[in-house]
Amino acid sequence: MSPRLLALWLKESIALLRDRHGLLALFIMPTIFILVMTMALRDAFTPGVSIDVSYSVVDLDRSPLSQALIKRLKKGASFQLRDESTDLDAARRSLLDGEQNLVLVLPKEFGSRLLTPGGTDGRPAEPLTLLVDPALTPALQLAFRNQVMAALGAVRADELTSKAGQLFGLPVAPGASVAREWPDEIRSEAVRNDHNARLPSSVQQNVPAWLIFAMFFVVIPVSSIFIIERHQGTLQRLRAIGVPFRLILAGKLLPFFIVNQLQAVLMVLVGIFLVPLFGSEALALPERLPLLLEWWVVSAAVSLAAVAWALLVASLARTSEQATVVGGVSNILMGAIGGIMVPKFIMPAAMQKLAALSPMAWGLEGFHIVMLRHGSFVDLMPSLGRLLAFAILSLALAIWLNHRSLAAQS
Amino acid sequence: MLRIDGVSYRYRNTDAPALRDISLAIPAGGVYGLLGPNGAGKTTLISLLAGLLTAGLGEISLDGQPLAVARAENPRAIALVPQDYAFYPMLTVSENLRFFAGVLGLSAAEQKTQSAAAIAFARLEQVVGKRADQLSGGLRRRLNLAIGLLGRPQLLLLDEPTVGVDPQSRHFLLDAIAALPAAGTSVIYTSHYMEEVEAICPQIAIIDQGQVLVDGALSDLLRSPEPLLELTLDRPLPAELGERYAARQEGALKYCLELPSTAALPRLLDELAAAACTVHQLNLGQHNLEQVFMQLTKRSLRD
Repeated sequence: MSPRLLALWLKESIALLRDRHGLLALFIMPTIFILVMTMALRDAFTPGVSIDVSYSVVDLDRSPLSQALIKRLKKGASFQLRDESTDLDAARRSLLDGEQNLVLVLPKEFGSRLLTPGGTDGRPAEPLTLLVDPALTPALQLAFRNQVMAALGAVRADELTSKAGQLFGLPVAPGASVAREWPDEIRSEAVRNDHNARLPSSVQQNVPAWLIFAMFFVVIPVSSIFIIERHQGTLQRLRAIGVPFRLILAGKLLPFFIVNQLQAVLMVLVGIFLVPLFGSEALALPERLPLLLEWWVVSAAVSLAAVAWALLVASLARTSEQATVVGGVSNILMGAIGGIMVPKFIMPAAMQKLAALSPMAWGLEGFHIVMLRHGSFVDLMPSLGRLLAFAILSLALAIWLNHRSLAAQS
Repeated sequence: MLRIDGVSYRYRNTDAPALRDISLAIPAGGVYGLLGPNGAGKTTLISLLAGLLTAGLGEISLDGQPLAVARAENPRAIALVPQDYAFYPMLTVSENLRFFAGVLGLSAAEQKTQSAAAIAFARLEQVVGKRADQLSGGLRRRLNLAIGLLGRPQLLLLDEPTVGVDPQSRHFLLDAIAALPAAGTSVIYTSHYMEEVEAICPQIAIIDQGQVLVDGALSDLLRSPEPLLELTLDRPLPAELGERYAARQEGALKYCLELPSTAALPRLLDELAAAACTVHQLNLGQHNLEQVFMQLTKRSLRD
């Protein structure tokens, strides 16, 4: 190994270790983001998860069919049944006190008039009443209303089927409909290559996302050291000694690559051990060795892209302030459009197309291919190819900028 | 011996060349002073010698070999000590020395011995474990110099190495630099401090507007057949006298006159008396370097 390169690596590592604030930012910032965003987006990433909105049912009928409806609603699981009673006033009070968000009132004769809502005696059946907290979003009100309608339809159909069966002497499932257990009629399933893989969780989405974001933030320490070198004449001295610029860049690549890999290890540990302490699911890495290797290859490719980008920004910027602004803003933009800050799947279609331009999106896609879809190296090639091309282009531009700057002097 | 033959250099997108047909012969084994006002072309010339720029016209040779060839054969032959503190503030003194010894390509054993020698030369023993950004200005200058000496260069280019240091550090640095030729390192020394150059440079060149105005032995430059007279008067020197004696105004009522001979002094004093000028101070002697420099480069501000 070249002793010059070794000296450059050692110098860069010591300089970086002495930059405690920079290091703290590189490791603490993504840890906090992972914890906060994993908790904030926990429900958005888990199909069929319950919504943290509670409701109660005032059952004025107390019939087997009203009980069947309540059972159906419970099965829906999206909203939390807090209470079941016959006291309408108490339910209203709890709504006013903010203890719950929705109250469903089942009227008397609910069961007897279930199959004849229009009425056979000239008077229509009394409707179900939904009391709502006005602060509850219209979307959630509508979602609950739809859930009630679905449950009502199911109970009605069940009762109709049962009655028709009895009438025509068809085989009927034993037991009253109220006591019957219904199988899950809709099941969510993530499409992936490995049938034993688990569904993606918020932590599996957020750990790689914020790891990528943190990796790209090496732009701050890289550029701050580089600008010191340029301003203090150290680069000039190195050139006078005969150290080529590409060797100076190579001297920065490895130390910051190692920092990125340490970030990866720390963020994975945060996902596995720290996130569960805050009530979310622990990060599950792929268990098979080839997939772990793929995970690391993606991490390495993201790191190369991040450090190369940082070197380009450092070559472009004339002052530390410029580097902080250019590097920081570009990272935030890449993160925003790349599905780091806002998950890509909730973006409008046009924004999702724009996301394809962000190197952070390429990295996230690579991690998702490994972690969520258990893809092969072939599946990873588009993401890896883009990241490596970005890294090579950034390094080439950094070297060209340096040559141009020298040429301007001559 | 470093020879510079007819070297010209023009920066891209500029009209005037930074250097015009510069020719100098810089003998080995001494401290050579390179003087000039701001923008004269000193830094451009130093950059050419350090290999940071390549001459457009002319040739530079070191011991008879073209500079590029000499540098390729021995990359450590010429070392540059820039005016800036060209080291890493977050590294300690010893880490800086080890780093620069490493990028010079020295072996591990050489790194150790050369670092120790540089530390001893610059008297940095007490601060080897201290971060460079915690050093005083004088210690930083000494570290800057020590790094330049790591490769035991044949020629050391010093660009204003005493800027911003206290008198003690300055004297230490000057003594240290003056001792370098005896250790086998020739020095090209640029400075704005004329008394420094007078103290340690037996040979000098003064350049301005990219041209060599004068070069040679310092003693020859200071020796003048005409005595130099410094006068401080109570009123302005009459124009006629100023013209006759090539007077330069050096202060409000302070003038420097060139007499054809010492015998001309009584006549001048009579003429001053006739013009009702009272002489407050009179000093008859030789030129000093600052006077020569100012005479050659004129008094106009350069930036």
